[in-house]
Amino acid sequence: MHKREIKKTMIYVFLLLITFISISPLVWMFMTAFKIRREIFAMPPVWIPKPPTLNNFISIFAGDSCRTPFIYNSLIISLSTVLLAVLIATMAAYGFAKYKIPRSKDIEFWILSTRMMPPIAAVIPLFLLFRNVGLLDTRRGLILIYIAFNLPFAIWMMSIFFRQLPREIEEAAVIDGCSTFGLLRHISLPLVAPGLAVVAIFTFYFTWNELLFALVLTSRAAKTFPVSISEFRGVVNIRWGPMAAASMVHIAPVIAITFLIQKYIVAGLTLGAVKR
Amino acid sequence: MSKNRRVIKYVLILPAIVYLILLTVYPFIYSIKISLTTLNIARPYPPRYIGLGNYAKLLSDSIFLIAMRNTFFLTAISICAEFVLGFIIARIFFIAASFKLKGIGFLRTIYMLPMMITPIIFGLIWLYIFNPTLGVANYFLSLLGLPPVSWLGKSNIALYSIILVNVWEWAPFMMLLCLAGLSAIPPELFEVARIDGASWHQSVAFIELPLIKRVIVIGLLIRIMDNFRLFDLVYVTTGGGPGSSTETLSMFAYRQSFMFFNVGYGAAASIIILILGIILAQVLIKYTWGKEEYA
Repeated sequence: MHKREIKKTMIYVFLLLITFISISPLVWMFMTAFKIRREIFAMPPVWIPKPPTLNNFISIFAGDSCRTPFIYNSLIISLSTVLLAVLIATMAAYGFAKYKIPRSKDIEFWILSTRMMPPIAAVIPLFLLFRNVGLLDTRRGLILIYIAFNLPFAIWMMSIFFRQLPREIEEAAVIDGCSTFGLLRHISLPLVAPGLAVVAIFTFYFTWNELLFALVLTSRAAKTFPVSISEFRGVVNIRWGPMAAASMVHIAPVIAITFLIQKYIVAGLTLGAVKR
Repeated sequence: MSKNRRVIKYVLILPAIVYLILLTVYPFIYSIKISLTTLNIARPYPPRYIGLGNYAKLLSDSIFLIAMRNTFFLTAISICAEFVLGFIIARIFFIAASFKLKGIGFLRTIYMLPMMITPIIFGLIWLYIFNPTLGVANYFLSLLGLPPVSWLGKSNIALYSIILVNVWEWAPFMMLLCLAGLSAIPPELFEVARIDGASWHQSVAFIELPLIKRVIVIGLLIRIMDNFRLFDLVYVTTGGGPGSSTETLSMFAYRQSFMFFNVGYGAAASIIILILGIILAQVLIKYTWGKEEYA
């Protein structure tokens, strides 16, 4: 029994160590965000800023490296994408899950495969097409694309959720004279609501993190938060403090999302191939 | 009823299908068309049709071949390291779970944070850590009495530094998959193995690895696809340099198209990436959902 206790403690310590190493870069960034310039450039490094300063965050929201318009853009773009992608995807997923559609399996696999296409192959032609129709550097242009690149994920996951619903409930509703859209609205949707929420959160997460499309297709008016963060690298002397602060602002919702959907992350990132 | 149903199902699925054709299939076809021309958006004169000229040029372009080699190398090393690390750590988490240690779920969620944040930010953090004068990486080396390393500034080291960051960020993904696989193994099997006196390495070789094979292969295939289109991390850390030592396929196509404005040439490179992507996607789909009924 004593030996077991020692083993337990060892495993605990070991896991704590692994976890700390894994997130140590993030912890370092967190510390840097609260440092003054002198501490950032100090060697040997100053581990814990004292006293911590909020100047880096102030410069992000109000100062000379103001990021608020880009944060706003990212929020608008992500939320619009979630709304529209989930709407279109729910309809399609319901169609695939509940009706007999000729060659539906082939169509679903084709939809899934569009998800796996390298974005670089899409962004070059889309840049030229957008240039011709004046959609470059617009929020609605980016939203159009983000919907397309989140639809496959959303359709696939939603159809998994719809297929898990027990048939009997819906059959009973049909016998009671429920119309198709009534069935979807009053019976099926409430039952898959948790799944719907997970898909919506994932879609927000993918859009919030996306770089390549935003980098190529926006320049000023519709520039997103990730692009504006990546620009810290462009200058000769990188302003580490504001960079760290902007990064913390960007990852705060991501950390919240991670805790919120931790049970579904494996299923989400493997498109339902691995369940938990 | 029946006619109504027939209409409704198409009303439900057609918007999604039409949307995807317009925004993915059509651009790909358009991209193939561009890749057969000399289109350069910085030049005023119209593009010329040159057939497969761009593709022939790519195959003799030393930078493209380096990008191809780098991508293969980076992918191979990354997925091996991610798998080995991920499996070992998953096993420790698994043992901890079997002891019913408190707070393990919380620890696991904290552990996976690096893969959840965007590679741009993770890359920028490492840019700071790797900085030759104010980075902590060289500070730790100096504590050990080792000379400073130019992590991202030397062409023979930069690619390894990027692999290090990539593995650091994505080992948690393989760990989560392995852990999901391990948790799905019936506990009786471990019990039987224990009674038969199997050692831990026999358990790994004859029970754990064979039984979680499917999960491992799915994880590796997903990571191979991710690495094949790796862009964000390289873009913020080295931008493909120094020279072209960390150039990847996506980076190459991006630079050709949007820095040199050689869109025709860049499109041809992206079509090659696309073909590789389609092959990988088909393998993944066949392997994952091909045999059994999914859902």
